[in-house]
Amino acid sequence: MTVTDAHPTHLPRRRGPSKRRARFGRLFVAPNLAAVAIFMLFPLGFSLYMSLHNWDMFSPAKFVGVANYRSLFAEDPLFSIALRNTVVYTVGTVVPTVFISLAVAGVLNRNIKGIAIFRTVVFVPLAVSSVVMAVVWQFVFNTNNGLLNIVLGWIGIDPVPWLVDPKYAMASLCIVSVWRSVPFATVILLAAMQGVPENLYEAARLDGAGELRQFLSITVPLIRSAVSFVVVISIIHAFQAFDLVYVLNGRNGGPETATYVLGIMLFQHAFAFLEFGYASALAWVMFAILLVLTVVQLRLGRRRAAQEERSWA
Amino acid sequence: MLRGAGAIGAASLALVPTACGSDDDDALTFFFAANPEEADARLRVVDAFQRRHPDIRVRTLLSGPDALQHVSIYCAGGKCPDVQMAWEFTYSGLAERDVLLDLNTMLAGDKAFAAELRADSVPSMYETFTYNGGQYAFPEQWSGVFLYYNKKLFAEAGVRPPPGRWSESWSFGEFLDAATVLTKRDQSGRVSQWGFVDTWAPYYSALLFGMNNGVPWSNPRMSPTHLNFDDPAFIEGIQFYADLNNKYRVAPTASESQSMSQTDQFTSGHAAMALGGHWRYQTLERANDLDFDIAVLPTGPKGHAARSNIGTTGLAIASSSPRKKQAWEFVKFATGPVGQAVIGETGLFVPALRSAVRSAGFAKAHDRISNIAVLTGGPAHSEGQPITPAWPKIVALMDRNLGPVLRGSRPATALTAELAPKIDEVLRTP
Repeated sequence: MTVTDAHPTHLPRRRGPSKRRARFGRLFVAPNLAAVAIFMLFPLGFSLYMSLHNWDMFSPAKFVGVANYRSLFAEDPLFSIALRNTVVYTVGTVVPTVFISLAVAGVLNRNIKGIAIFRTVVFVPLAVSSVVMAVVWQFVFNTNNGLLNIVLGWIGIDPVPWLVDPKYAMASLCIVSVWRSVPFATVILLAAMQGVPENLYEAARLDGAGELRQFLSITVPLIRSAVSFVVVISIIHAFQAFDLVYVLNGRNGGPETATYVLGIMLFQHAFAFLEFGYASALAWVMFAILLVLTVVQLRLGRRRAAQEERSWA
Repeated sequence: MLRGAGAIGAASLALVPTACGSDDDDALTFFFAANPEEADARLRVVDAFQRRHPDIRVRTLLSGPDALQHVSIYCAGGKCPDVQMAWEFTYSGLAERDVLLDLNTMLAGDKAFAAELRADSVPSMYETFTYNGGQYAFPEQWSGVFLYYNKKLFAEAGVRPPPGRWSESWSFGEFLDAATVLTKRDQSGRVSQWGFVDTWAPYYSALLFGMNNGVPWSNPRMSPTHLNFDDPAFIEGIQFYADLNNKYRVAPTASESQSMSQTDQFTSGHAAMALGGHWRYQTLERANDLDFDIAVLPTGPKGHAARSNIGTTGLAIASSSPRKKQAWEFVKFATGPVGQAVIGETGLFVPALRSAVRSAGFAKAHDRISNIAVLTGGPAHSEGQPITPAWPKIVALMDRNLGPVLRGSRPATALTAELAPKIDEVLRTP
């Protein structure tokens, strides 16, 4: 006789509370599920549906098949400009962000007196909204009276028309974006660095390795997965840039097309031209590009990890 | 289904909540844009309406920076304001989408008002809102552009004040001479006083100089298929405007007006002439120690007479409004003789009706200036701007292509090959 057989009446009694727990579980999860369904799944499905239509919010939608996608790739000269600007902005943001946040996290990882104050100061931009940040930086980038040009003037550099000249507009946008992105990346990298065992550093020190050598040979390899995460997230954020550009460089991503990125193009088609079908098609193209980039990055990361495991074995 | 789905999306994007509670549910909603000084005067007009119609409550909705975007979201979300301010450049897009009511349907049932309106209106302004056979708004104001000038700075420099009547013109050359004399530099070469500043949108202003060189923006005005960026005289006018800051250095560049807006440069006495419309009047009137007057725009070598533009805003009724009767009363008041007289007295706008613009109340509200003829004669000496539903796309194109010209990195003649074909394509297939 099994234990279950010995207590045949216990099973239904156990199932009762378990069912009730499951029911309550579903009830507790339901609001979140509903929110996900209404605010994420429905808009996703709706935008895919709209991308196959011409729709201006007022007239009935007209099915056009893949015409929006075709016109985006084959007929719209601004798509290639927006794509190129987005790539430049993404590279100009992600690369400096990773290097600067690695350095900042490395410095903040030290056990020195008052480090908590420095950590707090570095994380402040994380709490500031993009719009406020952009407005403040507009003052900093002011050609004749901006802080940046005043400082550059001390070392003999003539005023740079940061936001006025298309040559400098993208550079200024990247500077603000890096300033905004570094705190988040630093938080992630600092957390990963604090997980690196101290005995590895002790062993390295006994072998005579200096601070820089320890950082490059121990810290960086051991936080590689965190770096990968930061790169993936930063690329996704940079690719979807909108609010910062809108406030800093204007609703058309100017001057001229200097900061006309995909996010601005999407907004312009949707809310200025009322071409919601076209804007939805663009949104799905952006999604597809990001998906491919992310999958490639993750595969490369996994392959590298597997190679390292094999080399250790 | 689509409207419902759109409503969900649009509601989440709406900038300002539309429903403020059950108390306001039966109130007439009125959507308008105004700078802070204008908003005060606008509310006085609304109060005057409510005193005459205590049974109709009005809830005002102040527009954000982009009125078309703002009102589109309201309407797509099923909360289209009953009465809407309509702009000459953008109303046709809403009319084409059946957002606005054809006011001829209301006029047909109100013959007395229709006759009164016809007799008192300036035809070119009234026709600005006549699109595809429908009348989608009644003009409420003339918001054409002219020059403000600082009388004290002109007197100190010994420069003859510019003409104050549309029948008296002055040339581009005379304007440039005055601006040159009135531009002052300190010992380091830095400009301490500009001869000319522009408080309007630079690419619109550039086109206004093209128009004052004898060429309209488009021909025909309604639903054009071509803008005149390939006309040498139009291009010459644009180039003259661009040269004011790049070549002659009598006007600030974009960099030079980052620290202080061009309006502030004029109000603080750091600029002798400012291009702008009546919408700046309330701001300038409140500036301490500013002794200003107004003048007509200069005429180019190929121009025939000084011209302004038929800048105008009107009032429209939403086709989906459940309060059309109340909305009609409001529109009739604000665009009819009584409301227009109130508008004239408040100094809010240059009224659209002849009787109001010639009234004693309007003159009294502008007793600070001598050349009131610039305002009263403005509508009759203005030329129309293109009316097309594709205007938002044209603006985006102009913004991109006029930038290098206005910065001085490309000549205006480049617009003929670069901008004109793109605009034609958009106008052909909006």
